[in-house]
Amino acid sequence: MYRLSKMRFGFPIGLFLMLFLDGSISQVFSVHLFNTPSVMVSHLVVLWLVCGVLFEETMPMPLAKWAIAAGIVFDLYYTGIFGVYVFVFPLVVYVTRVIVKYISPNFLSGLLIYFIDITIVEALSFVASRVVHMTAMSGSAFLVNTLGPTLALNLAMFVVLYFPIRAVYNWLK
Amino acid sequence: MQKFSFNRRLVIIIVCLIVSFALMTVSVAIRNKKSTPPLIQQFGNDIVGLADRVVALPANGLRGSVSSISELLNTYQENQQLKKQVSELAQTKVRDQTLAKENKQLKQEIKLNDSLTDYTAITAAVITRTPSSWQNQVVINKGSSAGVVKNMPVMSGSGLVGRVAEVNKTNSKVELITDNNDSANRFAVSITTKSGKTVNGVLSGYKSDTGQITMNNLTTKSKISKGDKVVTSGLGGVTPKGLFVGTVAKSVGDDYGLSTKLYITPATDLSDLNIVTVAVTKQ
Repeated sequence: MYRLSKMRFGFPIGLFLMLFLDGSISQVFSVHLFNTPSVMVSHLVVLWLVCGVLFEETMPMPLAKWAIAAGIVFDLYYTGIFGVYVFVFPLVVYVTRVIVKYISPNFLSGLLIYFIDITIVEALSFVASRVVHMTAMSGSAFLVNTLGPTLALNLAMFVVLYFPIRAVYNWLK
Repeated sequence: MQKFSFNRRLVIIIVCLIVSFALMTVSVAIRNKKSTPPLIQQFGNDIVGLADRVVALPANGLRGSVSSISELLNTYQENQQLKKQVSELAQTKVRDQTLAKENKQLKQEIKLNDSLTDYTAITAAVITRTPSSWQNQVVINKGSSAGVVKNMPVMSGSGLVGRVAEVNKTNSKVELITDNNDSANRFAVSITTKSGKTVNGVLSGYKSDTGQITMNNLTTKSKISKGDKVVTSGLGGVTPKGLFVGTVAKSVGDDYGLSTKLYITPATDLSDLNIVTVAVTKQ
């Protein structure tokens, strides 16, 4: 099924498009997003992966492999510190798959799942940055200045992009 | 069977954690010590950089057109103000040229070829920015093939914005001075006070809630006042002398009362970068 559908090429193209859009959005709206001290980080690539799990239904896709590929590119091209997102992105896919087993995915439950996923991504990248001395931010400052605004931005993006992305997935199937 | 699978999952998690930490440590060590990343990483980054331009160029172009429309609204007022400044600038520029010429002649006279102030500029466009809250880092479209070398200072508009952190063939990463990690913003700078004394020091960090650069451990007796200009001193490393960093906003005693701590307002808007200049010193 997967091998024969448009999804085979459409999914990776969309994934890397989202990955590059993350960087471009950060650059174009840098005045508004990186308005220190509160920082909003766009995670469209996570949105694309989570939507992949939510809309998977009858057609299993090799999401973990593509999550690792996106993680490698993210680490090498964007951050230069290899070994953070290459593990975080597959973990997000795994966690989402476990949750989807218990909760049937729809718009509202998807919003909650995405909330959990963004929290995982931000918290793990925070811990990793603290370990390698990339940042000296305290835990409470992280919650207020980074996690809160980032969640707000990404949940808003989920609300806006959920139905367009579903349409894209249905067209690709 | 249940117990076995639980153990296996635990083993996988621990192995992943160890591998992750090992990879991070190795890549941080490479980033700090080597002048270029491993060849595979360079090659990969060059390819990804090319692919990224397909997305980044339309996005940056769109941004340019939107901002040009909004700028059109207050063009008239700006034009009148600028006209006044231009007439003053012409005078300064002529004088500057004369002085530069004289300086060159004097240098020839004493057979001094390159001093600390000499540098050539490489102009580069910002392709993209790292979508992460821990690294204030941008990717620019010039790399080692254009002559960019690691640790070179990067300027935008009127002042210093950061330094080159990683160089690939066709693109490189620039760490901004707003980045608060251990090495991003340690620039050797000097301040000329109102009384004519020169104070040397090293930038030590960035205060994100006020948007000011900090400078610790100054043990000078001379009085540094608000508005004094901070420029790079050219001491130690590849930074040329005389790049404008910012102006002193506040001078206070540090926590123990032994030394002075300075707050410096950066010369340029550090969150809005389109075109940057890499300063190349002759070595």
